[in-house]
Amino acid sequence: MAKAKSENAKKPMTKQDLWIYVKRYWQLYLLLLAPMIYFLVFKYSPMYYVLIAFKKYSIVQKVSEMPWAKNNGFEYFIKAFKNKDFINALRNTVLLNLFDLICGFPVPIIFALLLNELKFKFFKKTVQTVAYMPHFLSWIIIYGLAFQLFAPTNGLINMIIEKLGGQTIHFLDDPNSWVKTYIGVGIWQSFGWNSIIYLAAISGISPELYEAASVDGANRFQKMWHITLPGIRPTIVVLLILALGNIMGSGFDRVFAFQNNLVMKNAEVISTFVYKYGIKGLQFSLSTAIGLFQSIANVIFLLFANWFSRKMGERGIM
Amino acid sequence: MKNKVLSIILTGTMVASLAACTPGGGENPPAGGGTEATPIPTVDQNTYSGSEEEIVGGSSSELVDGKFAETRHITVEIYDRGNDGGSDPTNNMYTDYIKKGMMEDHNVEVEFVKVPRWTETEEINNLLAAGTAPDICLTYSYPTIQTYADMGGVIDLQNLVVDNKNDLPNLWKWLDQTNMYWDKSVQDGTLWALEGKRANNNRIVTYIRKDWLDTLGLEEPTTREEFYNCICAFRDNADTLLGKDAKQMVPFSVSSDVGWRAALLIESFMDPDITDKELYVNGFDDRKLTQNGTKEAIRLLNQWYNEDLMWKDFAIADSSTEDDMMKAGYVGAFMHNWDYPFRNGEDSINANLQRNIGEDAKFVAIDCFENSKGEYVKYCDSTAGDRKIFFPTTNDEPLASLLYLDWISDPVHIEYLQVGDEGVTHEKTADGAYTFMAATGDAIMNSGQNIDMTITCNGLHLSTEELTLASLANNYPPCDPADVARANEVANNGKKPTKNAKITSIEAETGMGEALNGKRDIIYDTCMSCAPEEFDAQWDELMSDYLISGGQDIIDERTEKWEAQYGDKVTLD
Repeated sequence: MAKAKSENAKKPMTKQDLWIYVKRYWQLYLLLLAPMIYFLVFKYSPMYYVLIAFKKYSIVQKVSEMPWAKNNGFEYFIKAFKNKDFINALRNTVLLNLFDLICGFPVPIIFALLLNELKFKFFKKTVQTVAYMPHFLSWIIIYGLAFQLFAPTNGLINMIIEKLGGQTIHFLDDPNSWVKTYIGVGIWQSFGWNSIIYLAAISGISPELYEAASVDGANRFQKMWHITLPGIRPTIVVLLILALGNIMGSGFDRVFAFQNNLVMKNAEVISTFVYKYGIKGLQFSLSTAIGLFQSIANVIFLLFANWFSRKMGERGIM
Repeated sequence: MKNKVLSIILTGTMVASLAACTPGGGENPPAGGGTEATPIPTVDQNTYSGSEEEIVGGSSSELVDGKFAETRHITVEIYDRGNDGGSDPTNNMYTDYIKKGMMEDHNVEVEFVKVPRWTETEEINNLLAAGTAPDICLTYSYPTIQTYADMGGVIDLQNLVVDNKNDLPNLWKWLDQTNMYWDKSVQDGTLWALEGKRANNNRIVTYIRKDWLDTLGLEEPTTREEFYNCICAFRDNADTLLGKDAKQMVPFSVSSDVGWRAALLIESFMDPDITDKELYVNGFDDRKLTQNGTKEAIRLLNQWYNEDLMWKDFAIADSSTEDDMMKAGYVGAFMHNWDYPFRNGEDSINANLQRNIGEDAKFVAIDCFENSKGEYVKYCDSTAGDRKIFFPTTNDEPLASLLYLDWISDPVHIEYLQVGDEGVTHEKTADGAYTFMAATGDAIMNSGQNIDMTITCNGLHLSTEELTLASLANNYPPCDPADVARANEVANNGKKPTKNAKITSIEAETGMGEALNGKRDIIYDTCMSCAPEEFDAQWDELMSDYLISGGQDIIDERTEKWEAQYGDKVTLD
């Protein structure tokens, strides 16, 4: 039966069939046109300009007229990789993102699991709302809060530590403590928001499974471990793949807001490096080259993570 | 069919986006408008090196009585300082004055385009790259102009200013050849920008809390040692001076820009007999990082920092936080722009102190950083080197734009823009000097003395020097004119203006400015705040990184070019 159906579907469409099909559904295709144009104009056509990475940029010439860069066009890639500040920025980008992933990825999952166990609805909703609020704050404001809390002389936390007889902790201006503060604040800002998708996945799990488990005498922890977690596993995998695809990327404003001169050896990342050398230093070819490198590395990570998850028997994202 | 439509749309958008991304198209507007009536001026080779020889100029045939036959339209950059309660930078009493005057005198319609003051370099970059820059651009950053000039995005002004000289009497008179030709290339005679002139090139002054000195029975310090003793006394008597806020005490405050906020101290460690050559070679860093005494200066700051004489939050706080601490009366001494505590009228630091602390609470200027010869040298800029004015190639009204510059350089117009209307922004004292008053609404000047409007003139410039000096002191109500006069005096004591070495474009500097400035600030901040025993190791490591990352290349190229031009000579005329 199934076989016959698939054969039927494979049968080539005649011209008449096509005509009927188009006549019936043309509005849908017309609707599709708008997003297609959007992608072509704003996402695909700008890709042409990655050529700038291989050319000597000039403001008054068309991309096609600009002369090719030295070393078969790879001058700016070589220049970037010879620059130890770039290597340092690359290292920091990967490390900070990795720490973010390791420390930050499990938090919303755990939070969602805990929240799911709450029976008192009003309390659950309140906690959830309070937790995802920071997501809507800009990083500049968050830095302002962090400064008020963590500054060495007048920060609230340090004042408490001193009152208790402790030593001032340089949360924001010591390179190593800075990394912890940066990661911590990042988790605080995002875990509530990120848990929403897990909560949605949890609510999709059939209650019958829980009822059956209860009948079998499972306790709450066992239900969480054997039903809830496996139930949201596909969601976790998809989000993990997406997160891995971003391991070389870096948002600009979070790092930029938290940077200061005393922590630069750990705080300079690719995006701020590009801002400093490329935009402020007017080296457009160099910044394009670095941007291109970053995108390609991200795609490679994404494909690898996807391949790996399929190997492990998950569905992956493509 | 559908495919065809789609491809047409797509091709259309592609073409449009291509066109949008390549502004100017390399098409330079004709220099000078109409110059056929005037003889082509012969520019003597000597004028390239800035000699004061008379330049024979021409005038444009397009103008009748200085007016265009048809109304022309130009756009002019104006800084937006985003002041709380300021007036609209593009539409206020002063822009109206300019618009009206330009229309009446030259039949030119002026439109102002605002650019945020504190991100001006980035913003003007974006505007230039997009081909939407105003006809008259100004920036503090010459490298920005040079970069776009190298790409063919800037108009060469050389012939324009000479061919139209007779139509530009005020501009030539005010800027003089010094400022007109400051940026003129020795190699090919190109002139990408005109240097606005500083009517006042005061730079930086040290300030101390006079009332604290009085409370503790101390004299105003006149040497580095005495200054150190004063700030130690502030620290040790925090309870007396601040009572319950004693913990907030900051005897000597600097921000993360140590090189600027401790400049006088750093410069006092320089060799008093430093040659012009050395000044030039290391002059690429305006915070004196690579000069010979800087390491010891920072070592002293490091000592002070570790003796709890300085502010621990300096690296992570922004300047407004520091201002607030000064206003709240927690800061004992600091160095900053010569008029810093008087700026912003009722919201100035000194006005706040008087309100918050008491009548006699104020910062006063002191002169206390002597060099090894006991002199109080103030390295400062020449009259040039301030704002640079240039025309992007998208400017198709170069003559009208030059007439604008001429109009804005007329002493009468400068004076009006700086003092405004009597009874609104100023009153006159018995001896004729202006006293300034807090204006409201449209009459508020967004920048001191309206310097954002008088783009060819920075600083108060009135008809006579006496009037200027007397009025300058009155320029900061409600601050005491005597304090301002004193600060002006200190700022002028031992002034040493930069000389123009006339060596243009150091290739090693291209695109390195921001990166090296960033590294410099890291060196200053790290070495000032590290533990004393780590100082040498930190300084040497970071400094060698700075030199490897491009600093040494610049020093070498500058030395080489100096020697190529001047041989063994180490002093400029």
